Amino acid sequence: MKALRNIASYILIALAAALASALAIKAVGSDLPKAALGFFRGAFGSTYGVSEVLVRATPLILAGLGVSIGFSSGFFNIGAEGQIYMGAAAGTAVGLVLPGLPALLLLPLALLAGAAAGGLWSAVPGFLKARFGLSETINTIMFNYIAVNVIGILVRTVLKDPNYPLPMSPELPEAMSLPILAQGTRLHAGLIVALLAALVVYFLMRETKIGFSMRAVGKNPRAARVAGISVYGNVLLASFLSGALAGTAGIGEVAGLHHKLLEGISPGFGYLAIIVSLLGRNEPAGIVVSSLGIAALQVGAMSMQRQAGVPTSISWIVMGLIVLLILARKRVFRFLLPEAGEEGQ
Amino acid sequence: MTDPSFVAAVTAFAAAAVRMATPLALAGLGETYSERSGILNIGLEAIMLCGAFAGFIVANLSGNLALGILAAAAAGLTVSLIHAFLSVACGADQTIAGLALNFLASGITSYAFLIRFGKTTKLAQCPVVPPLPIPVLRDIPFFGAVLFRNNIFVYAAFVLVAASAILFRRSEWGTSLDAVGENPRAADSAGIDVARARYAAAAANGLLGGLAGACLTLGSLGFFMENVTSGRGYIALVVVILGRRKPLGVLFAALLLGAADALQFRAQTMGIDIPSQVFIMFPYAATVLVLLFSIGRSSEPSALGQSFDRSRR
Repeated sequence: MKALRNIASYILIALAAALASALAIKAVGSDLPKAALGFFRGAFGSTYGVSEVLVRATPLILAGLGVSIGFSSGFFNIGAEGQIYMGAAAGTAVGLVLPGLPALLLLPLALLAGAAAGGLWSAVPGFLKARFGLSETINTIMFNYIAVNVIGILVRTVLKDPNYPLPMSPELPEAMSLPILAQGTRLHAGLIVALLAALVVYFLMRETKIGFSMRAVGKNPRAARVAGISVYGNVLLASFLSGALAGTAGIGEVAGLHHKLLEGISPGFGYLAIIVSLLGRNEPAGIVVSSLGIAALQVGAMSMQRQAGVPTSISWIVMGLIVLLILARKRVFRFLLPEAGEEGQ
Repeated sequence: MTDPSFVAAVTAFAAAAVRMATPLALAGLGETYSERSGILNIGLEAIMLCGAFAGFIVANLSGNLALGILAAAAAGLTVSLIHAFLSVACGADQTIAGLALNFLASGITSYAFLIRFGKTTKLAQCPVVPPLPIPVLRDIPFFGAVLFRNNIFVYAAFVLVAASAILFRRSEWGTSLDAVGENPRAADSAGIDVARARYAAAAANGLLGGLAGACLTLGSLGFFMENVTSGRGYIALVVVILGRRKPLGVLFAALLLGAADALQFRAQTMGIDIPSQVFIMFPYAATVLVLLFSIGRSSEPSALGQSFDRSRR
């Protein structure tokens, strides 16, 4: 019965989001069926549309997995955005310093450098939390802004392409491009990396002692300490792994899509990753599904803008609304579903 | 030192710093109320953005600035109370609630702006609050130009900071607010209504943050564009930490960051060859440093970010 009520409340949330979208589309004076058609055609109506959804889902899966490891271990990582940028910068630097390496060496090296940079960028606030009890919420937000500006400085100074007036790095060697998976699309092997990462994270968190310790620390640090599990070590490890996945997302975008370092490589993927992790309930399978959902929402919204003149900001309205309703779910639906009163206790 | 052009430059710089500091001081002061009661509201950006938008659109449609300012405060209040409802009544994660509000506010304001003004090529404008020089005081050398020839937002910021400092230190309400933020269970046992105190603090945050938003569109710009606050809500969070959650501290931190902002503009116009990112990064790096130096003697309310449920032990 409880499961049924849960499902009912989620259906109501989905209906509320759909209703809000319909109202918004009406408000802009657009035609509802035309907009809906534009949305679904854009996201699912063609191979290219589907491939774009997968392309957009790739960094969300990786960064979302990272955020979820942090959340399950009590490290509240709001800093995926900065970790994405740091990973992208470090991987780019590897490609520019070692351009002669064969792909088989260069690609893994660049991915590892990206993961390491993202991990270290996250381990600093992780260390400050684990060692001194400093709140990671504010620190990781600050680290986001610092990282974005560091990248801004890098692409204007040491990593700048001297032959171009724009702030960007030179084109990376061909050997550092992730292979394209389907001809005529932008779909790259980053998706495979992301799906593999989902499997690895699943086994790490569910089947290994390390994962168990991290989750124990996340559930109840005091009890974990009494049971002889190191809170310090596990928070530090979780923060590093969390950032490493976001860093991989960053270098994945460079090696798979842009082939150079730019300022805008992440249009808020790091913040979306938090929503992804929330919607996916910190479970790898859930994160893959919610990443696909958010990616489809954004790709569909772009097509809806082209075909029916509905501004893409509608996707932010829908996402914000859904998250707010989920946060308020247990309280709000107590009135709508009178039987659900005892739920969640 | 008495070179008149040098004096004029310094005066202009100080005046610019005060103007840039004002929205940060107002929003930071609001967040101070919220955080002292135990609610960490990352949604400050949403509060400011909705305030900026509501103020702009009402002033644009009615031509009445007072109505615009009221609308801005009301919009900020609404956003902040949604956050408070999620934090207090639903026991939701305060950070996620704040982030979601930022998404929603960014989406709704851009969307509504495009609905109303998207089809016109003319830049949509609203009237700007005129400066209100204070007689006699405006003629004081240097300080007159820097402090007393400003608009109502600047004066409001200074007066509200002073009033809040007195409120926090001298009033029973201020003490009970701190009690709620430090130890809600003990406050509850002492007969303080924790939920009510937190809603009140959130209301103050919303009103002040809405004013901070109006300060941008109605106080200086005279127009609105998508995400016009451009991260100032996050900088206001910085101001709160730098100011150690004290009204006067918040004011000084806002002035410091306002000065850094003004300096960055000067450096850019003077063609100094340092990437502007170096200056933009400054407040964030400073915050991390301040947090580092606060290790062991934290000024953070003990229950910051935690929800309180009376019925649970």
